[in-house]
Amino acid sequence: MAEITFFHYIHRDTVLHRMDGRLKLVCMLLISLSASFAPALHHYLLLFCLLLVALRTAKLPWTALFKELKFFGLIILLVISINAYTIPGDPIPNLPLPGLSRQGVVTGLRFAGRLINILLVCVVVTGTTSIRTFGNVIEWFLRPVPFVPETRIATMVSLTFVLIPVLFDQFAEMMTAQKARCIELRKNPIKRLYFAVFPFLEQTLRRTDQIVEAMEARGYSELRTRAVFKSNKCDWLILALCLLVFLYVILS
Amino acid sequence: MPLIETQNLTHVFPDGTVAIENINLKIYAGEFVIIAGANGSGKTVLARHLNGLLQPTKGQVLIEGQPICKNIVNARKKVGLVFQDPDRQFVGQTVAEDVAFGPENLNLPPTQVETVVKASLEVVGLSPFSRQNPHVLSGGQKRKLAIAGILAMKPKIIIFDEPFTGLDYPGVVQVLQQILHLHAMGHTILLITHELEKVLAHADRLVIIYKGHLVEDGKPEAVVYRSERYGVRMPLRKGEEVKEMSWLK
Repeated sequence: MAEITFFHYIHRDTVLHRMDGRLKLVCMLLISLSASFAPALHHYLLLFCLLLVALRTAKLPWTALFKELKFFGLIILLVISINAYTIPGDPIPNLPLPGLSRQGVVTGLRFAGRLINILLVCVVVTGTTSIRTFGNVIEWFLRPVPFVPETRIATMVSLTFVLIPVLFDQFAEMMTAQKARCIELRKNPIKRLYFAVFPFLEQTLRRTDQIVEAMEARGYSELRTRAVFKSNKCDWLILALCLLVFLYVILS
Repeated sequence: MPLIETQNLTHVFPDGTVAIENINLKIYAGEFVIIAGANGSGKTVLARHLNGLLQPTKGQVLIEGQPICKNIVNARKKVGLVFQDPDRQFVGQTVAEDVAFGPENLNLPPTQVETVVKASLEVVGLSPFSRQNPHVLSGGQKRKLAIAGILAMKPKIIIFDEPFTGLDYPGVVQVLQQILHLHAMGHTILLITHELEKVLAHADRLVIIYKGHLVEDGKPEAVVYRSERYGVRMPLRKGEEVKEMSWLK
């Protein structure tokens, strides 16, 4: 787990790491919306460049991150191919691949650009924001909403994010142990699913029970210390920049 | 007055299994008590009652003379429990976040939480790792982090449930030094283990639980010779003394 950098918080001392979590969440929404509704390819490029600058500023490990993006690379390639072959339109002249349409390729590239930009937004935000800060921000935003147990929701979100990588590790370990006992020799996929799903479900429930017990032992209470947020000029400048980009992309 | 006392403490699981029965135990301030017993003897069940995690079927637990059921938060503040597998008790994404969990539950002001977290990490020597992910620490460091998480709540008594399980020699030494340091700082220590050879020299009392019953309670040198009757390895070889039973040189 220590080797995975994708979607993991990586502690550094940078402007983005120090940024007020509330403003960071608003920036994330603005850039994600821009990426989703960008009308032209140059908008995608602009957002991509902006996100690369953010990655650089946050001092996140480029090489490792792009290596781990490989998996998404396959999905992106698949999406471009499906679009290129299924969307009807004009053929591309002088291309040795028959059946492709120009409109299909453009739509596929657009979709890929959108996906890459949204992935990068998530990488920057998760890499520079700890889950605890996320929890505190969620709690802060939900506080004014009546009849919503904001502390409980924030704790649930935090615990989910803490537990997911741990459960993945556990699942991988369980599967390796099953392979060591020749699970591959069982050809019935339902049997194999049975041996994978039920022990994993049981382990997850047991793990949840242990976490609850550990939290209780340390006196878990919903009347907890509340986080104090501080924003400085730099945070507001970043927000202003994101707002400008959003308005430019949406209005043009 | 004992710091912690159990009176006829009995716990029966819903399936009818008697985990512990009529346990009467008194722990005084500043003591270092080892609770030993074979697997399944009821040691962990007893520890969980002392922190209010389990409710007795019969009998009661008193902390400074007060039944813990009357103020469970107070019990959890005064009695810190370090679990056997520290990996399963981490709730923070960084070392500092995990230590802050307890004091935040006590609703301390943020500045005080920060001070307490720093001080606790300082005591266990984990300050340089405050921004690390708890799961990437070594076995010994994980135990130390679990201890820091408990220390941040300023408990009077700390219960260690099998603190040496799965640790290599340097890990055991690190954890043992930490426990002795805490005892020297004035904490009352209750240590659950069946590996007496690692720690017995430092204990004031040795308590043995056997099939849910408290069967021995006394000075280590008086009790240890009968330990094998109850499924706990007698650590002394011919010519050895209790004061040599430590992994610290």
